[in-house]
Amino acid sequence: MAESGGLKEFVSAYVVEAEEHLETASTQLLAIEQALRLGGANLRAQREAFRALHTIKGLSAMVGVESVVTIAHRMEALLRASDRRGAKLPVESIDVLLRGVRAIQARVRAFGEGKAVPLPDVELLHALDALDTEHGNDPDELPHLELEPSLAAKLGALELEQLKAGLNDGQRALRVDFKPSLERSARGVTINQVREHLQRIGDVVKVFPTSQPAGPDEPGGLSFVIVLLSPAPLKAVADAADVAEDKVQILAEMAARLPVPGLEASLTAEEPLDTSADDLHVPQRGVVRVDVSRLDDTVEGLSSLLVTRFRLARAVKALRDRGVDTRELEAIVNDNARQLRGLRAAILRVRMVPVSELLERIPLIVRGLRRTMNRQVRLELESGGAEVDKAVAERLFPALVHLIRNAVDHAIETPDERVRRGKPEEGLIRIECSSRSNRWLEMRISDDGRGIDPAAVARRAGVAVPATEAGLLDLICRSGLSTRDVATTTSGRGMGMEIVKRIVHEQLGGELTLHSELGHGTTFKLMVPLSISVVDAFSFVCGGQRFVTPVVTVEEIIEIDPREVVEGLALPGQRPIKLVRRRGRAVPLLSLASVFAMPASGLEAKALVVRRGDDTMAFAIERMLGQQEVVVRPLNDDLIKVPGVSGATDLGDGQPTLVLDLLSLGANVSSRRLELEA
Amino acid sequence: MTDLHVVFSVAGAEYTIPAAAVVQLESYQGATPVPGTAAYVAGIIQVRGQVIPVIDLRRLFGQPSAEATLDTRVIVTEQGGRQVGLLVDKSREVLRIDSAAVQTTPGLVAESSRGFFAGVIQLGQRLIMLLDLRKIVGEEDLNEQFANRFESGFNDAAALPGREPEGVAGDDGGAAPEH
Repeated sequence: MAESGGLKEFVSAYVVEAEEHLETASTQLLAIEQALRLGGANLRAQREAFRALHTIKGLSAMVGVESVVTIAHRMEALLRASDRRGAKLPVESIDVLLRGVRAIQARVRAFGEGKAVPLPDVELLHALDALDTEHGNDPDELPHLELEPSLAAKLGALELEQLKAGLNDGQRALRVDFKPSLERSARGVTINQVREHLQRIGDVVKVFPTSQPAGPDEPGGLSFVIVLLSPAPLKAVADAADVAEDKVQILAEMAARLPVPGLEASLTAEEPLDTSADDLHVPQRGVVRVDVSRLDDTVEGLSSLLVTRFRLARAVKALRDRGVDTRELEAIVNDNARQLRGLRAAILRVRMVPVSELLERIPLIVRGLRRTMNRQVRLELESGGAEVDKAVAERLFPALVHLIRNAVDHAIETPDERVRRGKPEEGLIRIECSSRSNRWLEMRISDDGRGIDPAAVARRAGVAVPATEAGLLDLICRSGLSTRDVATTTSGRGMGMEIVKRIVHEQLGGELTLHSELGHGTTFKLMVPLSISVVDAFSFVCGGQRFVTPVVTVEEIIEIDPREVVEGLALPGQRPIKLVRRRGRAVPLLSLASVFAMPASGLEAKALVVRRGDDTMAFAIERMLGQQEVVVRPLNDDLIKVPGVSGATDLGDGQPTLVLDLLSLGANVSSRRLELEA
Repeated sequence: MTDLHVVFSVAGAEYTIPAAAVVQLESYQGATPVPGTAAYVAGIIQVRGQVIPVIDLRRLFGQPSAEATLDTRVIVTEQGGRQVGLLVDKSREVLRIDSAAVQTTPGLVAESSRGFFAGVIQLGQRLIMLLDLRKIVGEEDLNEQFANRFESGFNDAAALPGREPEGVAGDDGGAAPEH
């Protein structure tokens, strides 16, 4: 059903957007803290944080994550109250607010994963309330709302409080009925956009999603009842929500509402102008949020274009071989190649994210460590304007976190010790990035701490002192080796380096190097590719060897029933082609092992069915092993570039496993046959 | 001029290459065979996160492959950023060899060896063949190989000098025909 799909998309959009605002909130909170420590205040950061929390509250109310609404509301109230007092938050409030951010984050994620969302932590709420001394309850009676009892019952205490406050301020409580439709979404009008528009002329208190059964003249589906507070005239509200004026109803207004001279006039005069200006700038920041799977679809489309181009080139060559003048055709094919190259580069660029986004998350981590470890650390971050593929960024981040933790935990000395050694009290951790030759990202993580003592590491591992820094790196990356006697909560027992190494080598196909000077500090250098390809793949056994192949290329996995296999026609000098019946049609059945000239070992009991255009083919294999996500590394060397093998992957045993491209293998087999026939 | 050379043995004979071209020596746990490659390509191995091809020198020199032993080594070589492993029976020695001591390959040997040998070094009773690494890893045939592959149509996309010509197949799940 299209509606449920819409709802799912709605949830993931909510999670993405909420995470973004949470990040803004924590960045701004850190900025506020820094200003407070220096004895000043950062008004702008405070407002930004407020805005982020306010948006989170609105979003969460819309999808019905009440516990987030509650937490965000208290945090927002705290910030607002301090803003009114003259912009000074108590320093200790930052801790509580950051706890709030984490609490919200956990709940947003739980919601996104379809898990039960925990109730707000009472202790956290108390802590927030204790800080917000000005926060008080108005003992006035609740207003009467012209709302169905079923909906009114869903309004939480906070929302009722908000309505009451708004009504006291002279605003009207309004109800807008909005129903998404194909026609509306074609114009880009969605519930999110409507909510945004309404937010500009009022305060959205609550959005109720309601489902409607299909009527005689209307399809069923999801519609929304929006409750908002606004001083704007009904017409302006209806326009903002893209609905007819009769879809906007007054729920409540204060009886003694004093007319504010000029207010209505100014709003009617301004709002339409505003909205039309908005329509002109629909992509406000020129940023579109895209699901990665949609990008993958695009890449898939591109690769079928490449297949077509390859067929075209062959056809042109065949013509040329027959003596036809193909110069013009060849020029077109070359143009086509150039355009495809451009298209491919453009698609890859779309997947790139700035490394600075990765680095922005580091200060928060260091802040947490600084407090638990009694270290003073200064961070220097330099992204060098580099960008990496999203898949690389996601894998790189945990490695980065491990290295930073190690640096704070093991490398940087306590302030006293640093002073004794003639170093500044504050330790320095520096992350520096740059892209190399369009293919690699170089990232250096340096500290000015105590450095790594090869002798001490060797003693602990019970081996000879490594002669080179590469040897030392190997040693500290050994599983379970720690130079500490006690596992700390932050760094554990030295498993970190092993994980870093595994991420860099196995998941990213990169390199990790180390430079350390005893007493002066350590630098880790990571070289990782700017983009990697991750595919969902089947693993299976054929000819006694393990292979993987992308799930998308396999139409079906069938059991081979020997009774359904027939020998087809044998061409002179060739073995007969076997055929297997599949859905009433005879499909060529090829033993993958014999295509690869491998010794067939064991019974070929299963077959992978692939289809290229109208051509269907089944590759017989011994057995299936499973399905998993693999990182595909291209095989660049000419010695090992062969048809049907698109790369290699590491399934975790340190031995490369080949990634097969059965589609191009099928194409190769058929063209070999054609050549033999001709 | 004297240079460090790594000495190794293959099927009872001794060979050497300049140490400058050697990245490291690895013990051999077997390679993953790649079907459809030349018979002398033992397969691929993973070294420090990189996947590289391994040439079985026994097979390249027309000898039958041998069962791997504790002595079996992969010599990881690098030339112009390209890493290739050489599978040898044993390698334990690094020698300083004077370039003046390198004699030209005897005509008969040169003819039968397809240009693999750059010369012969006599060291007392020992006769060590100096290998031409470029010939061994097929560096010089590269252009010809490219041409061949383009003809057969399988390097179509990869032959385009794109920003990262090798990736498409993997990116989308391998529908492109380039490898």
